[in-house]
Amino acid sequence: MNFATLASQLFIGLSRGMIFFIVSAGLTLIFGVLRITNFAHGSLYMLGAFIAYSISTFLGQGPNGFWLALLIAPLAVMLISLVIERGLLRFIYNQDHLMQMLLTYSLVLIVGDLVKIVWGTEFKSMNVPTILRGSFNLWGASLPLYNAFLLIVGPVVALGLWFFLSKTRLGKICRATATDREMVDILGIDSTQVFALVFAMGGWLAGLGGALIAPTTTISIGMDANILIYAFLIVVIGGLGNVWGTLISSIIMGVGEAFGILFIPGVAIIIPYIIAGVLLIIKPSGLLKSAW
Amino acid sequence: MLQVERLKKAFDGFQAITDANLLVPNGEVVAVIGPNGAGKSTLFNLITGHLKADSGHIGFKSEEITNLAPHKICHKGLSRSFQLINIFSTLTVLENVQIAVIAKHNFDRKLFRPAKKLLVEETLAVLESFGLIEFKDQSCSSLSYGDQKVLEIAIALGSKPKLLLLDEPTAGMSPDETRRIVNLIKKLSQEEGLSILLTEHDMDLVFDVAQKIMVLHQGCTIAQGLPEDIRNDKSVQSAYLGEAG
Amino acid sequence: MSTNSSSSLILQEKFRTYLGLGMAVAGILILLAIPSLISPYYVYLLATIFTTALLATSLNLVLGYGGLLHLHHAVFYGIGAYTVAIIMTKTSWPFAIAVVLGPLVAALIALVIGWFCVRLRGLYFGMLTLALGQLVWAIVYRWNALTNGDNGIHSIPVPEFLTSVNSVYYTTLLVLIVSLVILYLIIKSPFGLTLIATRDNPMRSESLGINVKRHRLTAFVIAGFFAGVAGVLFILVERSVAPSLLFWNKSAEILIMCLMGGLTVFMGPTLGAAILVVLSMIVGLYTEYWLLVLGLLLLILVLFLPQGILGYLLKSRNNKKPSMRGEN
Repeated sequence: MNFATLASQLFIGLSRGMIFFIVSAGLTLIFGVLRITNFAHGSLYMLGAFIAYSISTFLGQGPNGFWLALLIAPLAVMLISLVIERGLLRFIYNQDHLMQMLLTYSLVLIVGDLVKIVWGTEFKSMNVPTILRGSFNLWGASLPLYNAFLLIVGPVVALGLWFFLSKTRLGKICRATATDREMVDILGIDSTQVFALVFAMGGWLAGLGGALIAPTTTISIGMDANILIYAFLIVVIGGLGNVWGTLISSIIMGVGEAFGILFIPGVAIIIPYIIAGVLLIIKPSGLLKSAW
Repeated sequence: MLQVERLKKAFDGFQAITDANLLVPNGEVVAVIGPNGAGKSTLFNLITGHLKADSGHIGFKSEEITNLAPHKICHKGLSRSFQLINIFSTLTVLENVQIAVIAKHNFDRKLFRPAKKLLVEETLAVLESFGLIEFKDQSCSSLSYGDQKVLEIAIALGSKPKLLLLDEPTAGMSPDETRRIVNLIKKLSQEEGLSILLTEHDMDLVFDVAQKIMVLHQGCTIAQGLPEDIRNDKSVQSAYLGEAG
Repeated sequence: MSTNSSSSLILQEKFRTYLGLGMAVAGILILLAIPSLISPYYVYLLATIFTTALLATSLNLVLGYGGLLHLHHAVFYGIGAYTVAIIMTKTSWPFAIAVVLGPLVAALIALVIGWFCVRLRGLYFGMLTLALGQLVWAIVYRWNALTNGDNGIHSIPVPEFLTSVNSVYYTTLLVLIVSLVILYLIIKSPFGLTLIATRDNPMRSESLGINVKRHRLTAFVIAGFFAGVAGVLFILVERSVAPSLLFWNKSAEILIMCLMGGLTVFMGPTLGAAILVVLSMIVGLYTEYWLLVLGLLLLILVLFLPQGILGYLLKSRNNKKPSMRGEN
């Protein structure tokens, strides 16, 4: 085991952590503001990947297809999220956790089968645009260029979220809603509109994650369940509703998984669960302060 | 019966209890008074183990109970009622008190024995003395506010404590209902010799029932003694006047 | 209260008890006679319902009565099943040992997982059950030497007398009835009453001297044990096992059964299990999109019938007779 292997695995893990972060950030925002455990988040991610695939295929799998897919797929998922929030979720804000969970779980089942009906069950794949194809050398390790792209997109999204949440009026309202819903109502702000906004934004992030992962993996039904559990664990160990905790735990998960694959390939699948289990046991309320 | 010495507690840098000292002699009614935010509820939660103290000592019957788990403290003979109604909302009135009696007798982990007939006599006796017997099979959430508040105390009595803590027992009650609680406290103290520690806003009630009074101001015990001494204490007057002005 | 009305109340209560008992006996008699009346496929379907009903009822001890957001109960079901499967295929131990060890191993794993989980509350409790449950799933999925991994274990040998459909039917029926009676007694015991109290108001329970964490852990372990029993039944019915039995969406399915029947009613999960098993069979005849139907059904349930079918029926009956106490 040399330094180059370790470095490249760290690099892969970090870029994977970025995907985790983009998806989980949406989930944690929804958690924090709406106080809903959104099981459908994985389904939105899957929709992002499938829609990106369709756009890219429609445009002949060329470079334009990828960039357009990256732009449109998240927006489409955002629109779907908005419909879900206005059409269903807003009726169950007063119910307990279990009911909210089960409602979003019903969407997992529905979306899962709808995707099967629309796209079929065979595996799909999508091309990486020429400019991001190939690899580059770093300290003697050959690293895929696309992962470097992810490592740029991740921090950009994080910065964007930071800017939105702490510098804009709307973002401040979102944070206020997360910590003290009554106060926001007293100030005369319609908190249900904030909910719609945050859910749509969470959906956009899930769709973005799906569109970003699409060129690097086989797009198939079932990708919703896998990412969902990871995102749940990441969000909980980061501290529910805390975007920065999510960033930290995403990186821990991504890197932990990558090194797991390197050192114990046969049982790497259990690494995320062990990380999550251990972190939850030693720090039950999450790494950073929870939003509520 | 209960001694609290140099108790301290801070939340996120805010010093809620800075120096609380308290003595509850056996068989007496002691009231803790103080302006809003003086730390009375925090003090109660520290005594009953719902909060962990940063430093200081709480002794009960010459035993150290500082920072024990709430359920252990209860088994030592210290039971409390809550300021906000804190009952078992889906259970009947009878079952609400029965839970306390069952727990007191350590029967709460018995698996194969119907609960329905268990310790009912003892439970009914508590309901009887609180005038709740006619509601025994009703769901407790169907009771009036005043009756729920009485049930709140009855549950605490169900665990047959040596020392009873009452957190604002008359908060939100009408004058009639308040009188009912006052009589109840007197009865428990005089007829059953129960030691009682209470917090209360109603000063008439405090001076009516309490044999000793402790004054808490900004988390600090500023006076403790007989009611008439407290009434004439300069620092107490300034604490209260300070708040009013 | 006058003696007259109280004695008539007692009579009424006795009458209701006898009526309930009578209905139960009649139901059991019908269930005993059924295998000779219907085709083996339906007998098999009923055995599946019995197994699932026990699984769902065991979850409800923790979920409905304990009020704990237990999101991964299928783990203990899977452990029970895998324990039997592994013993019967990898060792020469007798079947009886496998049957006894199945629920015990499930209870042991429940003790370990529960020990960590009961220190957390609400959503965090749920998430930790999910994380640790998925950890168990991942181990089962990957430990090829022991569990045969993704492929699962098939053609599990069972004693001769348990090979016919009818004998499986009667065994699962008997085990279900015995288990339901035990679970019912537990719920009506001081332990059960206290469990409901810790659900309604954990803080108050604590200050009455109840060790809430220990109480919850006990309930968790009991539920795990009976899920393990259901897992043993699953082996009898299917004679095979695969890791999907303890994947998290299986747990979600059990949650839906409990919700469908009603979380606050003892027989609710049994009804929910029966409905879901039958529905999946019927829908499966017409379309491959059973999950879509299930999703729509769940959506309707959450939006319009959150108290479940039995919960709704009981409530509307109680509303007609205001003197009776609502279970809600």
